[in-house]
Amino acid sequence: MNLKIILPILSLQTHRQLTNPWIWGTLFAAFIIALPLLVVFSNILIPGDETWRHILKNLIPTYVLNTILLMSGVAVITFIIGVSTAWLVSMHRFPGYRFFSWALILPIALPAYISGFTWAGILDYTSPVYVFFRNHLGIDTGQYLFFNILSLPGAIIILSLAFYPYVFLISRAYFSRQSSALFEVASSLGRKKSQIFFKVALPMARPAIVAGISLALMEVLNDYGLARYFGVDTFTTGIFTAWFSFSHPQSALKLSAYLMVFVLMLIIIERVQRGKMRYDMLGSAYRPVNPTKLSRTGSILAIIICLIPFMLGFVIPLLMLLYWSSLTYSYVLDYRFTELLFNSFLLAGIASLVVTLFALFIAFTVKSFPSRFVKFLSRIATLGYALPGAVVAIGILIPFLWIDSHFAFLSQPGMRIAITGTWFALIFAYLVRFMAVGYNSIDSGMEKISPSLDEASRSLGMSNMKTLGKIHIPLLSGSMVSAALLVFIDVLKELPLTLILRPFNFDTLAIRAFEFASDERVAEAAPASIIIIITGMIPVFLLNRLMGRKG
Amino acid sequence: MNILELRNVTKRFPESQVPAVDDFSLDVEHGEIVALLGESGCGKTTILRMIAGFEVPSGGIIRINGEAVSGSGIFIEPQNRKVGIVFQDYALFPHKTVWENITFGLYRLSKPDATNKANDIIVLSGLQGLEQRYPHQLSGGQKQRVALARAMAPEPKLILFDEPFSNIDSMRKHQMREDIRDIIKKTGATAIFVTHDTRDVMTIADKVSVIRQGKLMQTDIPEKIYTYPANSYVADFFGKTNYIKAKISPEGYETPMGVIRTKTSLPASLKDVVLSIRPEEFTIKDESMGCFCGSIVKERFLGEYKELTCKVENSSGPDTEIVIYASPAVKCDGEKCYFKPNEGKINVLNDE
Repeated sequence: MNLKIILPILSLQTHRQLTNPWIWGTLFAAFIIALPLLVVFSNILIPGDETWRHILKNLIPTYVLNTILLMSGVAVITFIIGVSTAWLVSMHRFPGYRFFSWALILPIALPAYISGFTWAGILDYTSPVYVFFRNHLGIDTGQYLFFNILSLPGAIIILSLAFYPYVFLISRAYFSRQSSALFEVASSLGRKKSQIFFKVALPMARPAIVAGISLALMEVLNDYGLARYFGVDTFTTGIFTAWFSFSHPQSALKLSAYLMVFVLMLIIIERVQRGKMRYDMLGSAYRPVNPTKLSRTGSILAIIICLIPFMLGFVIPLLMLLYWSSLTYSYVLDYRFTELLFNSFLLAGIASLVVTLFALFIAFTVKSFPSRFVKFLSRIATLGYALPGAVVAIGILIPFLWIDSHFAFLSQPGMRIAITGTWFALIFAYLVRFMAVGYNSIDSGMEKISPSLDEASRSLGMSNMKTLGKIHIPLLSGSMVSAALLVFIDVLKELPLTLILRPFNFDTLAIRAFEFASDERVAEAAPASIIIIITGMIPVFLLNRLMGRKG
Repeated sequence: MNILELRNVTKRFPESQVPAVDDFSLDVEHGEIVALLGESGCGKTTILRMIAGFEVPSGGIIRINGEAVSGSGIFIEPQNRKVGIVFQDYALFPHKTVWENITFGLYRLSKPDATNKANDIIVLSGLQGLEQRYPHQLSGGQKQRVALARAMAPEPKLILFDEPFSNIDSMRKHQMREDIRDIIKKTGATAIFVTHDTRDVMTIADKVSVIRQGKLMQTDIPEKIYTYPANSYVADFFGKTNYIKAKISPEGYETPMGVIRTKTSLPASLKDVVLSIRPEEFTIKDESMGCFCGSIVKERFLGEYKELTCKVENSSGPDTEIVIYASPAVKCDGEKCYFKPNEGKINVLNDE
């Protein structure tokens, strides 16, 4: 009986959905973005051959152990650095708190692999730092300065210094939005400040902190350059070994699937812990917390705590890279470097344009035709950010190789038609991987546009397309620029995906920097690294300006 | 001819068991101002949005100017319906000036035509001098007039208003209502507006539909709905009333306080009914002739009128309390009060 009522209701709605080009477009986008994931998982059921059994027996245990150790180490250190500095700058006043509240984000502009080889260079026996220690201070610690950074603990430290800003950013936002009433109640009940932190602030901020840490850990799983450079075998480096050394695509796929299990675990843990705790902080009586003014010693301590990650994660490596650049720029910056720069910027430019347009399309569809199905599609379309770059690359490479081999008859002598190893494949992969970056930026702008603006425009005779052009695009220009910029920077510093999918003999700044460093020519890697870092700093400055305007 | 017809329109949302709009019908004639009145969540805004084309009805037919826009497999997109809409939050395009907002819907006209039309509507809405301002530089009332001007510029067959006065402070509301009614009437437009405020209805509507939980309770002119509400829900919505249980007999209504005689004889049914008589529909008399006699329990002075609560004793059942609005000048004889309901203002409710 119920069915009888509902069927005729669905028909017109369903009919409209079925004939809606926007929904079809979004479905298409979600499908192609989900494609690499489907490819990776479809391989799980196929039994492996001899090579895979070898990998499974001899290499996987190391990969699992190293990945778990890296993740736990980074989780602990990013937690300590991120939360302590966020608590200091958001709840306290000391000289320089305003500077640190954005300076502590800067390490995000320094890709982990660049920071990694820079630190390796700094602590190397031949580095100017070590030479200075040895010749002027008479300190000689043998082969390494202090300890061998090219190790698992070294990798944990470098990764933590690169990714703690995720924890810092989210916790800082959370702390500064908390209502003072909670803290006042706690202190009226006789709690000391330290107890308030551990018993009230920290448990309440837990969902935010865990979200920040899981972002950092996703970056750890995505990392290839640092793990390879530091000689730590992880799933990502394993994928490269299977692909490039063993030339065994099936194993690369299976390793990708294994890596995805870690990612899924992370996502599930994050969702579960967030799902249980829904705190509504911004009650009607919301008052921001009055920051505590720190005493002289307190201030010095706070400055030291904030200075450590900022110096180690940003200033020292940057100074070192600048020094190296000053030694090498004269012969590194030749015509080939110009070509490299042009290639990188053009590639990143096209990718950011494509991603922004797709993101705009999907965000507009979600807004104009909201239904559970469309929202589900938008989730699928933004799944790629959780996928490590190497997984995306393998998931795209395998079907593309298949297409190329099956359509080889189209090729003629002297003109091979292929999509593998082309810019198309590369940009497609960036679309998959960075869709979420563009989408989140545009979607947050879209949320601020009242739905009645759309409706007003349509009631005045404008089609959806015209509404998008006349209302949304002008109003979203800021969000679109920031979406494009964020994708641009991500593409510019991207390493594993580009390494696997790049056209033959095609280099980007990131690849060149990494290759120079891998060839023990760290100083020559510096100029390219500096360009990547400076471009990466732009959004941090923009973010800071935005925060300044709000405050 | 009816400019708008809704026939048995129903809307179900997938997340809810109960239909948001249930079998709703309405006819709107050319030039009428119709109010859809109800509590928040009663489905009145959903009806408005279905007329505009922002929601797809689950059943029923909507016709505009005799043409089906929705129902029996047809669905005309909002941009092709020629229905103007004024939103509660005005929905002025923030990146466009007043002039650009008003000319937004005039893109089909030639430039001089569009300019002329926009100028006309700007004068009519009293917006001269504000053409180059941006929405954030306008007051609430100005924003509303721009929203109205924008909706009216393309000369739609029908203009819809979603809670037009809820964002206006009460001091300005009265003037705003008058202005809007004037503008609509001057242009001869047909308007439908959604509101939860009976005062909006009384001031500007020619006709009102009261809606409760998606169902139509009553459609009529405001005066009639006020005096002759179909049921207790409608009666309560429009203000205080006296409910009196009665049986219909040839002489009139037999109530616990006695028989209310009517001039016209009633078809005797001896059915139990409930009467609703508004407090102001009683006349206070000096003598007991043909009147009910009550003792005054409470007397409150409320400015324009005086609220009296009278208790009429009944030997064979519970006492009846009647609330009467009387002129402050009325003097009552000590604690006694003689009153009678005004002829023709006694309403029989159709409560189930």
